[in-house]
Amino acid sequence: MKRLLVWALATAGGLAFAAVLAYAVLSALKPGGEVLAVPLRWWPSRFEWHNFALPFEQTPFARYYANSVFVGVTVTLLNLVTCTLAGYSFSKFSYPGRNVAFVVVLATLMVPLEVIYVPLYALIYDLGWVNSFAGLIIPAGTSAFGIFLMRQAIDSVPDELLEAARLDGAGVLRTLLTIVGPLVRGPMAALALFIFLMNWDSHLWPLLVASDDDHRTLPVGLAAMQANNLGASGIPMMMAAAVLALVPTVALFLSLQKRFVEGVAMSAGLR
Amino acid sequence: MTTHRHRRRFMAFVLAAAVAGTGALAACGGDDEGGDGNVTLTFWTHTHPPMIELNKTLIAEYQSKNPNVKIEYQQVPNTEFATKMLTSLSTGAGPDIINMDDNALRGEYFPKRLLSPVDPAGFGKSSVAEVEAEYVPGTLDGAKDAEGKLYGVPSEFNGTAFAINTKHFKDAGLDPATPPKTWQEVIDYGKKLNAAGHKQAFNFLYLHSGWYNQWFQTLANQTGGSILSADGKTAALNSPGSKKALELWVELARTSGIADPKTSSRDATAPYQDLASGTQSMAIVYPWSMDQIKESNPETYKDLAVVPLPQADATAQPVSRVYGYFWAVNAASKRKAEAWKFIAYLASARDRWLTDVSFVQPVKGWDTSAAAKQIPFIDVIAQAYANGRYDQVGPHWNEVQDTIHKAVDQAVFDGKPVDQVLNEANEAVQRSIGS
Amino acid sequence: MTTTTARTVRVSGSGRAPARRRRVHGRDLVGAALSLPALLLFAFFAIYPGLRVFYLSLFDYSLTAPPEFVGLDNFRFLAEDPRFRQAVLNSVFYTVGTYLPALALALALAVALRRKTRGLGWVRLLYFLPVATSWVAISVVWRLVLHPDGLLNETFHLDVNWLTSSSTARWALVIMGIWKETGFFLILFLAGLARMPEEVHEAALVDGANPWQRFWRVTFPLLKPITAICSVIAVIRGFQAFSPQVVLTGGAFDTEVVNLFVYKTAFESARMGRASAVAVLMFALLIAVTLVQLRVFRRTDT
Repeated sequence: MKRLLVWALATAGGLAFAAVLAYAVLSALKPGGEVLAVPLRWWPSRFEWHNFALPFEQTPFARYYANSVFVGVTVTLLNLVTCTLAGYSFSKFSYPGRNVAFVVVLATLMVPLEVIYVPLYALIYDLGWVNSFAGLIIPAGTSAFGIFLMRQAIDSVPDELLEAARLDGAGVLRTLLTIVGPLVRGPMAALALFIFLMNWDSHLWPLLVASDDDHRTLPVGLAAMQANNLGASGIPMMMAAAVLALVPTVALFLSLQKRFVEGVAMSAGLR
Repeated sequence: MTTHRHRRRFMAFVLAAAVAGTGALAACGGDDEGGDGNVTLTFWTHTHPPMIELNKTLIAEYQSKNPNVKIEYQQVPNTEFATKMLTSLSTGAGPDIINMDDNALRGEYFPKRLLSPVDPAGFGKSSVAEVEAEYVPGTLDGAKDAEGKLYGVPSEFNGTAFAINTKHFKDAGLDPATPPKTWQEVIDYGKKLNAAGHKQAFNFLYLHSGWYNQWFQTLANQTGGSILSADGKTAALNSPGSKKALELWVELARTSGIADPKTSSRDATAPYQDLASGTQSMAIVYPWSMDQIKESNPETYKDLAVVPLPQADATAQPVSRVYGYFWAVNAASKRKAEAWKFIAYLASARDRWLTDVSFVQPVKGWDTSAAAKQIPFIDVIAQAYANGRYDQVGPHWNEVQDTIHKAVDQAVFDGKPVDQVLNEANEAVQRSIGS
Repeated sequence: MTTTTARTVRVSGSGRAPARRRRVHGRDLVGAALSLPALLLFAFFAIYPGLRVFYLSLFDYSLTAPPEFVGLDNFRFLAEDPRFRQAVLNSVFYTVGTYLPALALALALAVALRRKTRGLGWVRLLYFLPVATSWVAISVVWRLVLHPDGLLNETFHLDVNWLTSSSTARWALVIMGIWKETGFFLILFLAGLARMPEEVHEAALVDGANPWQRFWRVTFPLLKPITAICSVIAVIRGFQAFSPQVVLTGGAFDTEVVNLFVYKTAFESARMGRASAVAVLMFALLIAVTLVQLRVFRRTDT
């Protein structure tokens, strides 16, 4: 009985949380004047589907979106490659300096971007990568969390399989591709999802590095759009833009929820 | 077997090289120096739709007159304009031609040596003095450094005036032909407007720090206040004149009740949204504001009248404020000569700037030209310049403007005492300019 | 090392290669080379800037002019700077105000919702959704929610000017933060609870302990390691706050957190040396707070 009460409370809380998202979607569909009408009416008097075209009509929203997708996918692929290779290297091989290298990698977890981005920006400037996709993609090409994850995952691949492959004459990479890879598909998917989400969300770095319209990513573009549209008349477009920006990550989350949850848990070092 | 291993290893190297390669390719993105005589100039401005239209027209004309020149024009959103311009110029990633306000020029760019002085050849003249001779004396001061060297020519030169909505006035039983001459009258009129149902009688625009600074300077000019001392070496925000300015602001925006600062203009899509939509009855305006309203809300525009700026002290000589935006050339530009030629072309379209955008180019005789006569209220606007002066600006001016922003927020929105707020702000400004 | 890296039961013979063998095989060299791409990226884009930030903090640097050595002047300035002090306070307020309730709520929800009952999966999903939203987009939504005529005021019949007052703006950001971050920690706590052996729970039930005692005596102590990690992560995330402040207030009304202060100092005021000094101080603070937290949790470990 008590349990049911607790569950009911938790459910009520959950609905309250979800209410914000419902409010966003419904506001995006309302005609402009209705959004902030007092008292609050949840349901739109009519569905203004046209609002969703506004960001594309009035701003380079499509470009921002495309840039985010391009950068996100590239960064994810790059991470998959570098983290899997490094995880494999740290897990199944022994060589002098291996453990030191791994500790150094872990140490970078304690140093968030926020601490280093000023000299990092100066470096990007010196490399000539300001306002280029290189500046957005390459510094984000690997992650300590990803390496840690892949190492954990590859740890659980039985040595016998690798030994057997070696005896068969398979080289290091062949083993990786044909034996190890398939066995760690799950963690790789979780990693890919997590990296994509983190990158989709990235605001500070793209704001610095790529602030011209050709290279602007969605968070930066959206923030700029918001700054230009502070008023009531801009709300339908901004809500529509926000909802459109939310769709990929929420959709990915819903369809890959298990993997997502796995990814978050693994990011804290929990299996 | 061995071949397999070699092949896989080779693929790994190819992969690594590809990654590095994309980086290198992308890095080569930079500005192109067409060795075939073709010139590409980059040109950035803030976002003001009427100005953007005319810029695009002039660019098209220039490109057809000069087929080997291509102009890449980019508009930057206003709230990030200051940061983006500064960062880009500082990192050498800025455009060839900039269009910036005098506060930024004198407060940030000159101290940091980010701009290149005017090249008279671009204007077809043999000396800078000849270029200057065309303009009304004193109007170019906004683009001159401490030694008097000129770095730009004005794209717009703004005196400060006041707009009233005559229909609202009539609703409140007020005579539009006798507009408020002092801020106290603004409050009195405001109360009558409130009574007639116009709840937003008067307010300032609370957009980014630059706007806050404009209003403060306007008021401080009238109350005898200033941000810096006369020699520019110490902060003067806690001087009696400065305190009076902020107190006046608080009275107008908060205590008099003639409008609610929390809703007005925080919700503006574009500056003057509230005035343009007929929500606000009175506002401080510039020539370009009226033009913008004419294009966005022609119905309301018909009801608006431009009158002289109200004063803090009715007995004294009227005091106002001017500011300007200037076209200038990036010190890091590799195409300075061509850049100045293009700027000269932009500046030569002065009549069109006046008629199409209401941007005043302060050349001698501008106020009596045929183009000027087409501007409604031109006499009020022309008069506004006579009483105005450029702001006094110091180093690290971005920080100072942020400090003013915070001080006003605290006084107007939080209701903190003006003395306390300005004392803290004064210290902050002192720390900024002294380091 | 923390106990959270405990490995699950593995097939015999799998795991990691030992640190040293008697000689290094050629194969191992190839294996070593595999880590190079990642290590090179780290070297250039994490380690080098990580070291350089200390170096730059001793200079006055505006990116156009050559750096000018000023020794500890930047630190001296910051020690007396009201704006920096306020930024630190704002960050502390945001971190504690957001993450303490978020962690507590997440823990409570984890305990309440841990069962695999079908309906509960949906309830959990409702809390997870905010985690899947991107910060900037959701800040745009919250700007509307926090509008004087928006969802928050209307639902609770309030008349608060959330984003235009120094007394409420910071709370507005905290409310949004709790909404967004609770689900993240819920995931972590659920994972931790799932790993808890059922036998311990059974034993407590048999002992006749009531639910509250069960929680405090059994569940919570076993959750210590995860709580430790969660709290370390929470502090780091708190100091990383940037997007909501930028979109909702621009840092006005006492919401200028340290991260935003660094950004403005470096890129609006072009004082990169001073910004680096702030970064160094932030880094030191983070390390110190993390060490303290780990020690606190370790000391109370049963």
